Amino acid sequence: MILWEAFDKNEIFILILNIIAYGVLFLLPKKFTRDIVLLFLVWGFTIGIFFDFTIGGGLIDFYLLNDSNKYGLNDICYYLAFAPFGYFFVHFYEVFNINRGTFIWYVTVWALVGLGLHWIFILIDIVNPKNGYQLLYSFPVFLITQTMTVLFYQLVKSKHKVLKNAEQPD
Amino acid sequence: MGFAVFFFIAWLITAIFFAIQKKLSLIENTFIFMLILVISINWSWIIYEGFKFIKITKEPMNYTAFLFFRSVIIPMLLVLQLNLVHQSKTFGSAALITSLSVATLLLLDGLSFYLNITTYKNWHIFYDFLYFAGLHAIAYYLLWLFRKVSYRGVNYS
Repeated sequence: MILWEAFDKNEIFILILNIIAYGVLFLLPKKFTRDIVLLFLVWGFTIGIFFDFTIGGGLIDFYLLNDSNKYGLNDICYYLAFAPFGYFFVHFYEVFNINRGTFIWYVTVWALVGLGLHWIFILIDIVNPKNGYQLLYSFPVFLITQTMTVLFYQLVKSKHKVLKNAEQPD
Repeated sequence: MGFAVFFFIAWLITAIFFAIQKKLSLIENTFIFMLILVISINWSWIIYEGFKFIKITKEPMNYTAFLFFRSVIIPMLLVLQLNLVHQSKTFGSAALITSLSVATLLLLDGLSFYLNITTYKNWHIFYDFLYFAGLHAIAYYLLWLFRKVSYRGVNYS
């Protein structure tokens, strides 16, 4: 393990992204119970790690993260930035009162936001595609993960109290 | 062969998990599953790909078997045993369940060598025993910590 190969634009961007994402997380009104906040922070973090280590490394190896093949502190900081986005996804799901009729738009917009961020990551060499990987291939990944998030959130909501000021489901 | 065997084991453990009476909530089970998955992925990356203490096959289907072991079997078995431990009435039965779970993972390690999915280069099965035992302790304390942080002193009314 290394800290980083060279501390340059990608490390600075990751740091700024973390500061903004965690800053927004702490500034947002506290809508959810503590277990739900923890759950969706870990959800975002885990999905990032799972996909990157499954298709981004190993035998498939579709992209190089940051400047090195070695696992570094900069990579861990990159994954930590995923955690608040897992929370933002369910936060705005509630803010915009998303339902069966609007969830298709909600997931599509989030998938496009994810694609936009991925484009920036490629532009500043955080993600370096290889072995024929193209930016657009991330779109289905975002669609799948975010649809899964909606389904999982609805399941949790049907069994547990998720909002601080809501009634406990039967 | 390796793919079919590990896929079946992953399916079997998942099916048993859904069949049993669960003592952890959906939120707790998911939380523990995900954190154990993160540890499992990072551990295998550092030990296998970083230090190259263990060699993984380059054969695609057997490599997929390794992914099933790392990303499904290990976290799912940990969550399953945690539910069973919380159901057990005595310390002895809880210790027995944990020991059986560690033994299962070591047996699967052995199966992984037998089916040429992994090969030890500069490693010993005792280190894996320590890792699996540690992972069980981590799962237990993560649940304790999650419950402490989430529910203690909470009154949302």
